[in-house]
Amino acid sequence: MHKSMTYALAAGVLFGLIGVSSAQASDAEASMLANTCNGCHGPDGVSQGPAAPTIAGMNKQYLVESMKAYSEGTNRKSSIMQRIAKGYTEAEVEKIAGFFAGKKFERVAMQNTDSGAAGKGKAIAKDLCESCHEKEGFAAEDYPILAGQMMPYLKNNLMDFKSGSRSIDNNPNMSDKEKRKKKRALADLMEKHGDDGTNAVLNFYASRK
Amino acid sequence: MSKMNRRNFLKTTGGAAVAAGATLAAPTIANAAAGKVVVIGGGVAGATTARYLKLGNSALDVTLIEPKASYHTCFMSNEVLGGHRKMSQIEQTFDGLKSMGVKIVKDTAAGIDAGAKKVKTAGGSTFGYDACVVAPGIDFKLDGINGATESMFDKIPHAWKAGPQTALLRKQLEAMPDGGTFCIVAPPNPFRCPPGPYERASLVADYFQKHKKKSKVVIIDRKDKFSKMGLFTGAWKNLYGYETDNSLIEWRSAASTGGIESIDAGSMTVETLAGGKEKFDVINFIPAQTAGVVASIAGLTNAKGWCDVDKTTFESKVHKGIHVLGDASVATKMPKSGYSANSQGKVCAAAIINMMAGKPVGTPSYVNTCYSIAGDDYGFSVAAVYRYNKEKDIIAGVKGAGGLTPGDASAEMRRREVEFAYSWYNNICKDTWG
Repeated sequence: MHKSMTYALAAGVLFGLIGVSSAQASDAEASMLANTCNGCHGPDGVSQGPAAPTIAGMNKQYLVESMKAYSEGTNRKSSIMQRIAKGYTEAEVEKIAGFFAGKKFERVAMQNTDSGAAGKGKAIAKDLCESCHEKEGFAAEDYPILAGQMMPYLKNNLMDFKSGSRSIDNNPNMSDKEKRKKKRALADLMEKHGDDGTNAVLNFYASRK
Repeated sequence: MSKMNRRNFLKTTGGAAVAAGATLAAPTIANAAAGKVVVIGGGVAGATTARYLKLGNSALDVTLIEPKASYHTCFMSNEVLGGHRKMSQIEQTFDGLKSMGVKIVKDTAAGIDAGAKKVKTAGGSTFGYDACVVAPGIDFKLDGINGATESMFDKIPHAWKAGPQTALLRKQLEAMPDGGTFCIVAPPNPFRCPPGPYERASLVADYFQKHKKKSKVVIIDRKDKFSKMGLFTGAWKNLYGYETDNSLIEWRSAASTGGIESIDAGSMTVETLAGGKEKFDVINFIPAQTAGVVASIAGLTNAKGWCDVDKTTFESKVHKGIHVLGDASVATKMPKSGYSANSQGKVCAAAIINMMAGKPVGTPSYVNTCYSIAGDDYGFSVAAVYRYNKEKDIIAGVKGAGGLTPGDASAEMRRREVEFAYSWYNNICKDTWG
């Protein structure tokens, strides 16, 4: 069997049955579809900052899940992506996600991070975040890359986890065990370490080169 | 079972995904017969097309003709007028395009011989082409308003092509005494950047509020409604006392004024049918618009002054081998925005590469994302994902997608929209000029 056919089938079995987009199917090439994102996320998905996240080099499945969550608008709210994500079919999202997953996550934006805070954040991150966001946030195997991501974006998402507008409980892609683990880590970060500790972790990840 | 299967997924199908990605990542054509492309205009549409032509096929010979040494973006130029940004922060150079092998010619395209496939410049040069890209932006239509001449813009700036005009208008606003009135004459449809005049009013009102509290912005419109109207008027109510006695902004519809009779730079007056002559301290006259002048010289314009094109390739309906895009083109229903021009540039570049290689042009995909900033931490946007609709011959927004920031968006969402607007600026400029 052709490799891409295996891939399409795997994608269909795992993810094709969830949700239906109203967008019409199109046979547009992956680059044609993905390049429309660059005006906000940067060429090849490498953001020049200050806030829109880099999507290059991300786990493909994470990108697919994110687009689906935005499109449904229930467990991940956004000012803009909720409106954009609805414009693509699942097959198109697969293509777009594959395109950006194949690009290199580059750290080119000028981010003004505080080295003192980053040092403090390193210890907290090792304790609370490293077991999922491995290799000091550089890993993309299971979870989104945090290392070198835009600080306002990271901050906004922590805020959304806290408020529940980015819902861990309703995330269909996490096991109950993962949900408990993630909620515990976030609670520890925000309650034990407070705003200073949270800010330190943000500075740590944003400063990774 | 554990639902966290991203890693397994990657392991079992990652290789196939990469392989599929590589074949789908066309149009990158190695060893394609190199062709010559001449691009007229170094704005968003022209620069994006040039860059994506080179990205798609580095062997292409791409020449970009632009009279200006650098380009000042119209987007974010309202931040310069409001004092939030410096001129240097809206300036883009052509160095990025040069470094990837685009030949930059500092000259003005004076005409196109579509039969002989040649572009002639004001400087006397001639450039032969296999494909020509015409992205001249807009020019102004002054007829219908008494007293309006090209020379008046030294005193009553249009500031609708960013650059010296933006700097001039900012200087006038800075020099205006507190208690003065600033008039924006807003253009009739269709025109470049539909929300632009209203963002301009907002950011100048913000400047007045902080520095010249007794001053006022009056918009004399040549329309009865405008882009993002509910969001703008909502912002004006929240920030600038709109529709109260102390409002920093007053908007007058075409119906309420009966239309503009004359504009006079000598007496600094704007005359409307209903209101007679009214004196202002600073006037920003944004005229009615047509495609940039080279488009009409080349015979590419329709009766209304815009260029009809094949919406999947942006090839002119008048002349084969010439592609027109950005503000100059009729790309219904995409608005004349920077993001539209950027998106169209990619569609056009892919089409040219495929046409030159004798391949089908492929299925286009287009997006528009447009942010407006109405004040500190107060932004909103409109977005759309588009597909070509063959029956109607329009670039139609995908139903159920896109739309405006909700009117009841939280303060936090409005704050984020400003953050994303600044990201939009940095990223679209990088994507356009390299």
